[in-house]
Amino acid sequence: MSYLGKVADAVDAYNGFVAGEAARARADERFGAELRARWAGIQASVEQTASPTGTPLPRLALPQTDEPGAIAAYLLGQGLPGEFPFANAAYREMYLDRPGGGEEPMRLFAGLGLAEDTNRRFHYLAGHQTSTRLSTAFDGPTLYGLDSDHEGVLGKVGEGGVAIDTVEDMERLFAGFDLVAPNTSVSMTMNAPAPAILAMFVAAAKRRFGADCVPQLRGTIQADMLKEVQAQNEVIFPVDASLRFLGDMVEWCIPHMPRWYPISISGYHIAEAGATPVQQAAFTLSNGFAYADMFRARGLDVNRFGPRFSFFLDCGLDVEYLVLGRVCRRVWAIGMRDGFGAGPKAQVLKLHTQTSGRSLIAAGFKNNLTRTAVELMLSYLNCTNSCHSNSADEPFTTPTEEYVRLASHAQSILLEETGVFKHTMNLLSGSPGLLALERQVERAILDVFREIDALGGVLPAMEQRYQRSKIQEAAHRFEEQIGAGERPVIGLNRYAGAGPMPRVALARTPPQKQRLQVDRLRAFKARNAKRAPEALQRLGNVARAHGSVFAELLSTVEACSLGQITACLSGAVGRFRPMV
Amino acid sequence: MVVASTSAAARRRAHPGLLRLLTAVPLCDGHDSAVVTINLELARSGVEVIYLGYHCAASAIARAAVQEDVHAVGLSSYNGGHRVFFREVLAQLRARGAGDIPVFGGGGGTITPADARAMKRDGVDRIFFAGTPLADIIAAVKGGYARELSASARLRGDRALGRAITLSENGMRGPGGSRGARRAGAAGRAFVVGVAGPGGAGKSTLIDELTSRFLRRESDGRLAILANNPSHPASGGAVLGDRVSAIYSQDDRVFFRSMATRGSLTGLSPAAPAAIASLRAGGGFDLVFVESVGIGQEGDPFGVFGRGPRLADAVLFVLAPHYGGRIQLQKIAMLNGADLVALNKCDDPMAHAARAEVAARLASNGRDQVLHTTVAARHHDGGVDHLYTAIAQLAGLETVASVAR
Repeated sequence: MSYLGKVADAVDAYNGFVAGEAARARADERFGAELRARWAGIQASVEQTASPTGTPLPRLALPQTDEPGAIAAYLLGQGLPGEFPFANAAYREMYLDRPGGGEEPMRLFAGLGLAEDTNRRFHYLAGHQTSTRLSTAFDGPTLYGLDSDHEGVLGKVGEGGVAIDTVEDMERLFAGFDLVAPNTSVSMTMNAPAPAILAMFVAAAKRRFGADCVPQLRGTIQADMLKEVQAQNEVIFPVDASLRFLGDMVEWCIPHMPRWYPISISGYHIAEAGATPVQQAAFTLSNGFAYADMFRARGLDVNRFGPRFSFFLDCGLDVEYLVLGRVCRRVWAIGMRDGFGAGPKAQVLKLHTQTSGRSLIAAGFKNNLTRTAVELMLSYLNCTNSCHSNSADEPFTTPTEEYVRLASHAQSILLEETGVFKHTMNLLSGSPGLLALERQVERAILDVFREIDALGGVLPAMEQRYQRSKIQEAAHRFEEQIGAGERPVIGLNRYAGAGPMPRVALARTPPQKQRLQVDRLRAFKARNAKRAPEALQRLGNVARAHGSVFAELLSTVEACSLGQITACLSGAVGRFRPMV
Repeated sequence: MVVASTSAAARRRAHPGLLRLLTAVPLCDGHDSAVVTINLELARSGVEVIYLGYHCAASAIARAAVQEDVHAVGLSSYNGGHRVFFREVLAQLRARGAGDIPVFGGGGGTITPADARAMKRDGVDRIFFAGTPLADIIAAVKGGYARELSASARLRGDRALGRAITLSENGMRGPGGSRGARRAGAAGRAFVVGVAGPGGAGKSTLIDELTSRFLRRESDGRLAILANNPSHPASGGAVLGDRVSAIYSQDDRVFFRSMATRGSLTGLSPAAPAAIASLRAGGGFDLVFVESVGIGQEGDPFGVFGRGPRLADAVLFVLAPHYGGRIQLQKIAMLNGADLVALNKCDDPMAHAARAEVAARLASNGRDQVLHTTVAARHHDGGVDHLYTAIAQLAGLETVASVAR
């Protein structure tokens, strides 16, 4: 049995433990009395607040009970917000109003054109927020580790994300931002070339803030290669080498970048590729446990790497999304504690959510505002730690400023203008419907864990195309359901007739900008023509000798472009062989 | 012309018009969900889909379209840059004498109506907008692109060779192919290696790795690969996806053709003998790999036991350590007939025992069969190097001895 089977057993065992404790609370008077006393203490400690219309409210809503069995089932089965097993929330108060305000959870993803264009968009977004929470989308060539002057990629330069070839582009990307400020954080959606891109980020920060700025840098890089192989398909090197480079990076970040999350275990792309909500949760969590197993095998301490994991889920419109984040937090906490011996900090699943891009359609695209608003509501009901809301124009373009502003304001309206999330924690959790859904979804996730376990674990299952074929089947079923009208999509297979496609503004990268990027890259290469070969030689040697590729990249990026680095590493370890 | 029919007889009659399409996702784009769904639907409706995968270069798409001799090329583009990319594919097709192959596309809403009009002016045949029902796409593709591909003396090079194989597949010409194909290169001395083995042994990966050795070690010359895969038994269609993982075979020195078995149970397409003859006759190839579908214990796709025509100059049998134990090993006929045997996936814990068992099994044949142990999935695997050397020696290819280790 692999780690995954053990995790599934641990969750079952924990559920049995909760049921046992609830029974004991009812049968054992002393235990029951202890629980009642504890419960009374918790109730007494709940602070009071009031709505703007004067209705008094508790800052934490608790079940109306003093029956010891129910108290045990609640405290152990769900946990108070911020307490094991974290079903209700990772932290105690999340979005509640507090004096001075906290850091808002909104984090908007942006990337277009060249580094200076994205920098301008970042400044625009930052103007709509009190903290600086940036999130970077890269263009196709960068995601595949190719330079902007690579054969055949010119039309893709700056499309769908920002073009980054060198450390100098990275400097332009974050110009004007105080990267060492406590309330600045930077997220980068970057996977196969993540080590090189993070090395460029560190090098660019050092150039501006000095060599000792590194421990202050705060943010996340996605670097989730398992989901790339399973769903997103941006893979460059063979799986074992990809995971080795990732491990080098994580291992370096743990001591040197204490405020950095070096991996964001992502279900978003798994769901966008077609997975059901249960599959999304099961594959994402199982990938997380696979990383934990892998890093443990590397000799790393679960209590050092565990707190540095973060997660990223898609939130769509299916009913399971009402509870998906809640269930994931619970399964992760139990699995890490009982399957991996993790302490409290390594048990907490910190969640970023993005509303579903796949749920948005071009026909009658303004309906996407409503879809996203509903998904935002579901995301925050799951107490996500941070959230990106999609722009309504995304089905046909990199978001334009108008729709980015609407997406950003949707979050502000939900959290700041409405009273739903700012007065009371647990406002809606614990309803019979939610509890029933949670049980069903958790059961289904454990079933998938056991299927993967029977195949030998996440990596062997992946080699057998298990996740890919499940996702493909689900995607196919989804399309069939839309075609048959069983899955209503307003404006598409129901109440259609939105008329012709609207004339909308498009954010595209003009050819002269693409050529400018190529010119800048070539100038960089010319300037570094003497230093680059030696740096690449060293990098290749380190990769072949299984040394720390990330530690070496920190200096390689001073003289080499992303494409040069990719080619060098491919030479050392080979290329990924794609799967259908 | 092509009709979705369920009767086998009707399907056979339909073969002359069997629609073959190439589908792919452009360079720097990994969004394959839509194209995989469409591939499956097309195959279910009786189309042979040759799938090239995601992150495909325009040159690779054009090369595949020519070699596979498809009726049309479908591209699914999601992350922008489509106008430039489609134009590049069209230019590459024209450069390869295949400007007549229609190109259609679709994808996310990033392709706007204005883009579609511009792309149409560039020569793109049709764009399917986001939200087009699957059934409409299938119907339009089947109705729009089915036509008879006939012999033409104007075709040159790989285009002519591709057409010759198509004609063989459709039962329209005998072995040897068209005159155009014969003119395509110097008269070949092609050495044909049949590659057989159970499904999942790693034949495709091994062939691709051997191909990379050929390309690295032989300074010139060409290689051909015929990859046989089963047709869907009910629909007659197929998704032929071997090109997706053949990363080193995307090279102009390689002619790669995907063949569906179209109801044959021999392990090869009924047209494989004619296709092999075409490759021998006119492509200027030094080495030809013919990959059978996964075979069982009695399978003999290349006629080594004399029950059919002998199709290969040498046969390579590939198996993996999980063959089910010594008794099962005794029953595999190809272990008697093969000239070369590769025990692949030798990084498996079972490999050590398997190696001894297979070696003993071969020794009992009393033939000069060398057992090669390989890990095709490993970069620069030494076992694959040795296997290539053995094949190159059989084929009489000059190899650089210093690279052989």
